[in-house]
Amino acid sequence: MVTSEEIERISKLMKIDVHDHREYVDKVHSMIDFFDVLDSAGVGLEEISMQEISISDLRKDEHIAFDGKLIEKLNHYKGTYVRAPKMSS
Amino acid sequence: MNLKISALEYIQEVQNGNISAEDFVAKTLERIQSIDEKLHAFLSVNDKAVEQARQIDKKIKSGDKVGACFGMPISIKDNMCIKDNKTTCASKMLEDFVAPYDATVISKLKQQDAIFVGKANMDEFAMGLTTEFSAFGPSSNPWNTDYVPGGSSGGSAVSVSAFECVASLGSDTGGSVRNPASFCSVVGYKPTYGLISRYGLISYANSIEQIGPLTRTVKDTAFMLNLISGLDPNDNTTINNQDQDYLLGIDSGIEGKKIGIIKEMLGDGISAEVGSATKDAISKMEGLGAICEEVSLDMVKYSVAAYYTITATEAGSNLARYDNLRYGYDFSVEGYEFNSYISKARQMFGPEVKRRMIIGGFVPSAGQAGRYFLKALKVKSKLTREISETFKKFDLLIAPTVPVLPFKKGEKIDDPVALFQVDINTVTANLTGRPAISVPFAMSNGLPIGMQLIADSNQDKLLLQAAHALEQTVTLPEVPI
Repeated sequence: MVTSEEIERISKLMKIDVHDHREYVDKVHSMIDFFDVLDSAGVGLEEISMQEISISDLRKDEHIAFDGKLIEKLNHYKGTYVRAPKMSS
Repeated sequence: MNLKISALEYIQEVQNGNISAEDFVAKTLERIQSIDEKLHAFLSVNDKAVEQARQIDKKIKSGDKVGACFGMPISIKDNMCIKDNKTTCASKMLEDFVAPYDATVISKLKQQDAIFVGKANMDEFAMGLTTEFSAFGPSSNPWNTDYVPGGSSGGSAVSVSAFECVASLGSDTGGSVRNPASFCSVVGYKPTYGLISRYGLISYANSIEQIGPLTRTVKDTAFMLNLISGLDPNDNTTINNQDQDYLLGIDSGIEGKKIGIIKEMLGDGISAEVGSATKDAISKMEGLGAICEEVSLDMVKYSVAAYYTITATEAGSNLARYDNLRYGYDFSVEGYEFNSYISKARQMFGPEVKRRMIIGGFVPSAGQAGRYFLKALKVKSKLTREISETFKKFDLLIAPTVPVLPFKKGEKIDDPVALFQVDINTVTANLTGRPAISVPFAMSNGLPIGMQLIADSNQDKLLLQAAHALEQTVTLPEVPI
């Protein structure tokens, strides 16, 4: 069983404001509680299978120039740099 | 002019000179203008569409080579990039984002002279199954506008069903093409994982999502698949389908095919009307010479929980890029400290996206991963093993696309777990990478019921043949709008 405090802590780490407790914490609580059904799936010994792609099937590791200056499309591009908010000390 | 024709009929009519692309596209835009206020299938409409159609007519008249679409009007879910067009993902976060490049599916359709009439409404970042989570307001079901059209590709399904275009592209992460196709009585296709490039699709859950067509007929889906499938160097998960022609032999029928009826998809929670339609579909398949037997996929019971755990985790990672510095809306950095700026920027996400991001942070976190995320991956692996074993004995599987009829707007929006349960029959195909299709099959109290067929990986051609056979067994009414 997950607690509301755990959800609030994760929300803070995710930088998501959860001031509306019912809309966020309560609903997320019920969603995560639903996942508890996984406990009865009996998959403890199951191996996790992954799709593998061999290196030979990947495209060549070479630079392909983009047609157009993508950086100029950024909101905070100032000609020679991108403006970002200040980092706290 | 009759807009109520299939894609293949449209192409035939233009080739025969009975209609022009310009007239057809102009009439399509008129229809959008007259009915879309009620349906809200579109988030934006292409005001250059008629001019683009005129250019295609010129090519036809001058005998130049013309692409296979001949100016066919198509809608595109608003999570696929069309160069120099807004791509909002139905989110305030991307309200002003203009795509700098074309998605691979868009490049392929442009080469075939398709016309994009508009970008279709959807649940924000494809997270939902009713289109009610669109930041720009929900779409309405054209069969009864008080009802949801399904989602997340709801706008795509509505636009095809209500004759606002001839075909559409949606994306399917857990049923987001098949669910609205079922609710709106159109064909919806989720291909084998990797058959269609995802390059230029705004990512939600990369490991299981696929782009898929929504059309009026199964033949139209096969036609669209011919145009957009195949290897793409920009998406290393794509598979080589050897340029298979999915239309060729589509009339082959299903005589002698073994079809498994998935027991767990017909259990508790299925409505009486949907259950009855499923029995009818099975009986019709048997009438066509198929051999139908019940089969059990035990992991289906856990598939929805596994699906939401995996997708939230991937979404939490994918959505972390929306810091408003690389993508986002016009919001100055002036006077903000980094963390408070990101928190403020993320307020532009809608409530469902925020909830899934929180879950996406929680379930793979230290101390919780073993309990949720790793178990979900194990369920996915076991389900994949179960379905692989099943396809050693069966050619195809059948189940209703959605266990319930379309429901009213607002009916389930405050109960996320009730919404989860609606996905029970569709997520298996995504978790296991198998192709699946929803075929319009029945009506109940004026609301559509779709039937789902699932095939083994890379058996898309067989799946389309079976779906076409099933489609031919029913005659359904025309949408009343």
